[in-house]
Amino acid sequence: MEDYPEELRTPPVALAAMVGCPELHAEVSAHLHAEQPPINTLALPDFSKISLIAKTPKEATDSGQSTGILKRDWLLKHRTRVPAVVAALFKSDHVSGDPAQWLQVCTDLENLKAVIRGRNIKLVLVVVVESTSKEDISEDRMIALRKRAEVDSKYLIVFEPKNVLEQQQSLNRLGSTFAELANIYYRDEGRKVKTRLERKSISSVELSIRYCFKVAVYAEFRRDWVEALRLYEDAYHTLRETIGTSTRLPPIQRLVEIKTVAEQLNFKISTLLLHGGKIIEAITWFKQHNDSYKKLVGAPEVNFLHWEWLSRQFLVFAELLETSSAAIESTSSPILGATDKLSEWEFSSSYYFQLAAHYLKEKRSCLELTLSMSETANDVDGNGESVAPSVYVGQFARLLEQGGTLAMQLLTDEEYVHYALAEGKRFQDSFEIIALLKRSFETFTKLNAQRMASYCGFEMAREYFAVNEFSNAKQHFDSIASLYRKEGWVTLLWEVLGYLQECSRRLGAVKDFVEYSLEMAALPVSSIGSVQSLSFKECGPAVPASLSQREIIHKEVFELVRGESGLASNEGNNDLKVTGDQPLHLEIDLVSPLRVVLLASVAFHEQIVKPGAPTLITLSLLSQLPCAVEIDQLEIQFNQSVCNFTIVNGQRPQLDATSNGQPGHRVETAPALMLSTNKWLRLTYDIKSDQSGKLECISVIARLGPYFTICCRAESPASMNDLPLWKFEDRVETLPTKDPGLAFSGQKATQIEELEPQVDLKLGASGPALVGESFVLPVTISAKGHAVHSGELKINLVDTRGGGLLSPREVEPSFTDNPYVELLCVSGLECEDDSQTGTDDIRKIQHSFGLISVPFLNDGDSWSCKLEIRWHRPKPVLLYVSLGYSPHSSELSAQKIHVHKSLEIEGKNAVVFSHQCMLPFRRDPLLLSKIKTGQDSDQVLSLPLNETSILIVSAKNSTELPLQLLAIFIELDDNDIGKSCTVRHGGEDHSDLALLMPGEEFKKVFSVIPEVNIPKLKMGTVCLRWRRDTGPEGQPSSSATASEVLTKYRLPDINVELSPLVVNLECPPQAILGNPFTYFVRIQNQTHLLQEIKFSLADSQSFVLSGPHNDMIFVLPKSEQILGYKLVPLASGSQQLPRVTVTSVRYSAGYQPPVSATTIFVFPSKPHFEMANMGMSRESIATE
Amino acid sequence: MIVCVAVVGHQNNPVYIQSFTEADDALKLHHIVHCSLDVVDERVNNPKKSGPTLNETFLGLLYPTENYKVYGYLTNTKVKFILVTTDLDVRDADVRNFFRRFHSAYVDAVSNPFHVPGKKITSRTFAERVSNIVKSFGLSSAG
Repeated sequence: MEDYPEELRTPPVALAAMVGCPELHAEVSAHLHAEQPPINTLALPDFSKISLIAKTPKEATDSGQSTGILKRDWLLKHRTRVPAVVAALFKSDHVSGDPAQWLQVCTDLENLKAVIRGRNIKLVLVVVVESTSKEDISEDRMIALRKRAEVDSKYLIVFEPKNVLEQQQSLNRLGSTFAELANIYYRDEGRKVKTRLERKSISSVELSIRYCFKVAVYAEFRRDWVEALRLYEDAYHTLRETIGTSTRLPPIQRLVEIKTVAEQLNFKISTLLLHGGKIIEAITWFKQHNDSYKKLVGAPEVNFLHWEWLSRQFLVFAELLETSSAAIESTSSPILGATDKLSEWEFSSSYYFQLAAHYLKEKRSCLELTLSMSETANDVDGNGESVAPSVYVGQFARLLEQGGTLAMQLLTDEEYVHYALAEGKRFQDSFEIIALLKRSFETFTKLNAQRMASYCGFEMAREYFAVNEFSNAKQHFDSIASLYRKEGWVTLLWEVLGYLQECSRRLGAVKDFVEYSLEMAALPVSSIGSVQSLSFKECGPAVPASLSQREIIHKEVFELVRGESGLASNEGNNDLKVTGDQPLHLEIDLVSPLRVVLLASVAFHEQIVKPGAPTLITLSLLSQLPCAVEIDQLEIQFNQSVCNFTIVNGQRPQLDATSNGQPGHRVETAPALMLSTNKWLRLTYDIKSDQSGKLECISVIARLGPYFTICCRAESPASMNDLPLWKFEDRVETLPTKDPGLAFSGQKATQIEELEPQVDLKLGASGPALVGESFVLPVTISAKGHAVHSGELKINLVDTRGGGLLSPREVEPSFTDNPYVELLCVSGLECEDDSQTGTDDIRKIQHSFGLISVPFLNDGDSWSCKLEIRWHRPKPVLLYVSLGYSPHSSELSAQKIHVHKSLEIEGKNAVVFSHQCMLPFRRDPLLLSKIKTGQDSDQVLSLPLNETSILIVSAKNSTELPLQLLAIFIELDDNDIGKSCTVRHGGEDHSDLALLMPGEEFKKVFSVIPEVNIPKLKMGTVCLRWRRDTGPEGQPSSSATASEVLTKYRLPDINVELSPLVVNLECPPQAILGNPFTYFVRIQNQTHLLQEIKFSLADSQSFVLSGPHNDMIFVLPKSEQILGYKLVPLASGSQQLPRVTVTSVRYSAGYQPPVSATTIFVFPSKPHFEMANMGMSRESIATE
Repeated sequence: MIVCVAVVGHQNNPVYIQSFTEADDALKLHHIVHCSLDVVDERVNNPKKSGPTLNETFLGLLYPTENYKVYGYLTNTKVKFILVTTDLDVRDADVRNFFRRFHSAYVDAVSNPFHVPGKKITSRTFAERVSNIVKSFGLSSAG
């Protein structure tokens, strides 16, 4: 597309000219250029230059005859030289100035008119006002000027460059006037030509084409795309008809001219269609264009011109499509389905690039052929020099100097052919072709059409190959080969490999050459019963694929690698050889295409082996090379290098010397190592390893000849992939091992077991652990058969439910440093050698993990240590202990033997506490909080201020062991208020040392007197010191602990309140039948208020009573009222005292003493014993 | 005239490819068949664009090269049939008819219990049958 002249490539832009006032030209031009649509300007500084746009006299004479179709410079002329509008710029002071100036203006105008009249160019008058006021322009002069110029008043524009606002306005006016006049001009011109066209009296077809073209161009100037398109198409069709009818020029040149014009017309039409978004029409059009001209090859001596031309058509269309596709992409996609005539690729520029390249190749081959034929007439070069393009598009003429002027002379066809050949020789088509293919390749890659892209890549690589750029070619061929390998296109791959082989030969890359040759030799090119009868000669350096050809390649490459022949290379004269200085080593891994050349499958017969015990290993080799290959030596390599061994071919003993003569290296001799096509070579050997762990076969190195080795990665038969390419072939498939089970399950690695441990590890368990104590667990290691060297004991505490001991799910953040269970320490109490323990013990102890070293133990010795573990919460825990040791002291690196033991230990709470608060007997303080909240039972315990309350704490043995209680006491919290409450306990200390059997409960009574009135009073913490019962004193068990444990129990907070009223019942503890006694109800008022109290007393049948029954009394502040009764018991036994009911009016609280408080025992007669004053004593009793 | 027919397997590997041309362009035909797989992929992966051919096995004209036309057919088991012809004026019905017959020949060939699915078809009977179908291509319309 870049070859086309600018005026053809871009849409026409109207041209306007300006004369006079040169200082304004730049500004006006810029403005017009920025207009939409833009207008180009031709600036003529003064009126003397107007002859530029005048008609040249020659043109007038020319028009009659037709020696060509289109004039080469016609379009350019209208784009750059012939304006549609001329603006005559006059200064206002010249217009209204003195007569001389006025006269000058008139003369200039007349001259201008004379010039433009011939071309019908439109005229605009512009009067430039320099001064600030408009008034000084004389109206008469303006009219006179307009009359003289014969223009309409609207085409006289007053331009004021000084005034910014006015200037913009006048510029706008200027722009619109220009656009209007240009439109009129192009319309008139177009119409003029059109009438000539319609008159049908045109002397020749050429002229009619020319007229059509002109009208179309004028329509384009007016942006009338539809009309332009129609006329271009007319011109195109008319032109197509002239082929064969016209006899104007010699036939070769005639066809060249027609094609050139057709090319231009096609370009215009395609551009218009594509820019109009009609992509399908454009493609269809192009197809037609291609169809109608493709066959017009022309004379055989210049047929290359035709291919070149055709290639250019495709290239230009591809470029057009590419530039316009970005804009069209979004709109045109839905139409695709509707057009079944067009396929996907025809919408992509890559298709056209590819074809352009294809035709260019055609051109090159034709040109080469023509040149080779005409080479004898060696005058090709000399004549062309004076030939140049003539005035007509697509024509060439010879320039002749005729006395200073140049004249054009038409060429004969023969001369033209010479010229064309000379021109054709100057170009290097290969690079052009590569460039085209590269663009196609890139576009196809973008479209994700990898096969198309690789075909382009293949063509590209072939071009590189043709111009001897082997490294470029090789690079492209390589990438293509991988696709063909993947998809199994053997014939295509064969061809590519043939090129690659040749490329590496030319580049002198022996290794690559050998690799490609081997791959080619091992390709599954069908042999017997072949339906393929390919006998193509275009298959490049490799001859057609066949079995015999494979065999030839095989023999050649083996002669090379055995050093028997050399490789002729481009680089230098000396042949490339595989010698001792340049040995050749190939690597074949799991994805290498060379797996077909050599495949090594290795299977251990056993998956788990005892150390030192021999096991069998089967090595199977497979090759698809067409001829049998004899291997000189095989080296099998393992991850444990001591197991490596070599298999030597018994028939080639001379190579023994070259094999590595390391001492201790195992060498086996096989009777023959012959590898035939598609037949497994199976070798079975025994192998043993002392080292535990994994034993894996890494690779098999085959040595063929003195300097050639192939390292083949070992594969497990169980997980072996199919052979690439061969998997599509119908061939006999055999198993790599004789045993089919092994073939399906065999692995290239085996596991060597550890030695049996001969050391005992004992964990001395002793029942459940109790929370709080440090639980001691003895661990004993006794060596029975092995000595223990550098032993290490690992201790792990694990949650029985799995996971770590501290699973974050259940642990509150505050407990992270304080786990449930803790490994406190490990003490090696009964160590054999005490002096050593302190020094070389590695001790690492964490909460749940410990690592200690075990000293050296001889066979038969034992060692033990104790683990101390403390539970903070009741929780079952799994204890893992593992011992790692090595049985021999010498080998530091030798692997260790491990012994594991685990034990589940339950952590239990030793004692369960409970507590209870009671009020004193027959004394009832009124607690207002109890009245208020009534039924609410979840209340904190309320205690009256300054009153003695009774606290009973009980501790229950919840274990299965007897516990020895040592002490129980309450620790008061240190309050900021100081002593807020007094807790005292009575009883003797001897009762503290109780032995608590499982399930038994121990109770202790305390009295509590709250002394500060605060809502939440801390009562303190109950502390219990205890230890495990060691049984009879005589034998303290070693496992159990004698240490004391302190268990704490925090008492809940209590609510202290001042009770306003306290009711006391006072009566003797017992009565005697018939003996009177007194019964007091004492009501204390602890407030500063007068309390109104109602009371009533219910009669009892058992007693005769004197005293008030019902009344209301007032109790004075801070005083007390006593209701006194005298009672005589009438019945003996446990009797109910008369029930008294006290009601406080102020607090609307009634009080009735409980039945227990109003029960009295009546003796029938005075008993005969001394009554001890027990009172309400505090006592400690151990009850069930 | 049909110049090449091919059966292409699931991994885009050639299962059967046969050219019927005297000229030395068999390799070129291989390239053409291989390239046409791109169009098949495109059609199969973007069924939207090819709208009406959604549920049809016949894929239609795949792409025109300078001298050939390539037609495609996709069986329900996603095996591709490719036809390359030099006739510039081919009736769709003829091509459909050809593919129908070719398909039944293929089905017969792979139904052979000795044929391993996915491997190349080496049956001579199949080859003969295909060459008969190819020879009779377009004859029905001419008559």
